[in-house]
Amino acid sequence: MTKHSALHNTFTITRVYDAPPSRVFAAFADPKAKAKWFSPPPDWVDVKQSVEFRVGGREHSSARDSSGVKHVFDSIYYDIVPDARIVYAYDMHLNEQRISVSLTTIDLQAEAGGKTKLSFTEQGVYLDGYDDARAREDGTAWLLGKLGESL
Amino acid sequence: MSQPMNQPMSQYSVTHADFTITRVYDAAPARVYAAFADAEAKRRWFYCHPEWQVEHDLDFRPGGRETVRTGPGVGNDGGSTGSGGTVHLCEALYHDTVPGQRIVWSYAMHLDARRISVSLVTVQFEAEGHGRTRLTFTEQGAYLDGWTDVAGREEGTRIGLDNLAQDLRRQQAA
Repeated sequence: MTKHSALHNTFTITRVYDAPPSRVFAAFADPKAKAKWFSPPPDWVDVKQSVEFRVGGREHSSARDSSGVKHVFDSIYYDIVPDARIVYAYDMHLNEQRISVSLTTIDLQAEAGGKTKLSFTEQGVYLDGYDDARAREDGTAWLLGKLGESL
Repeated sequence: MSQPMNQPMSQYSVTHADFTITRVYDAAPARVYAAFADAEAKRRWFYCHPEWQVEHDLDFRPGGRETVRTGPGVGNDGGSTGSGGTVHLCEALYHDTVPGQRIVWSYAMHLDARRISVSLVTVQFEAEGHGRTRLTFTEQGAYLDGWTDVAGREEGTRIGLDNLAQDLRRQQAA
């Protein structure tokens, strides 16, 4: 692998939650509801989180893992349709190293019985060999499981 | 950039699509990179409608923004009010800039007040020998609410990258 590589990948994860679209949307839009699931493992330290949930607004989340490596998520919201759609782009850093840039689309569809089908699509570029799409997909699936528990 | 298509608009739909375009330029990576990094150089080639005036702000660094506002009425009396035709507005954020090697940015495209797409772009520059550069332009896009003219986006990008080849030749000759 050359020093400056860029690998592109796209994955989609679908979940059906036993809650209406307004509640699933709130799990992204309301910082307190989001903190219940969009948070690092309990043994990570120096946790910092801030959110401006509006088009053009930024979100920041960072924490150190048990080996001292700092994980940083920095995002910008591009599109918000209440109870229906959220589009944002984000960088991931490990310490000072940018490891990926991604475009995420969250699509919410009402299902019968007060349920919601969530489709999470991430189009990403993985930089310089520090991370890959498989690990990102696994981590995202873990977070969406926590989202379901929080509902 | 292309004109709006008259497609039925389903409410809140998203179409995801990617494309990659490769070009070899007869110029060194540092010069091709500068054609993206320098605002004045970029204005010479980036827009596929040279007959339109362009309002352009570029802050080329990670976290920096770029705004491009263009259309048949921009810069004329009708531009600000929209009476001079559709206004094309691109709002970008730079994520990654590696001099001479790589640029990553994201952007939203609007036609008047309507947001039609959000995209992630990666441009890679590789030295090809004999002072040439292989450029790989990858756009990963989310097209919104019935706007699905991915082919038009790709075609507009090809025109821009062809314009860049001409501009590099002109600069070399000057």
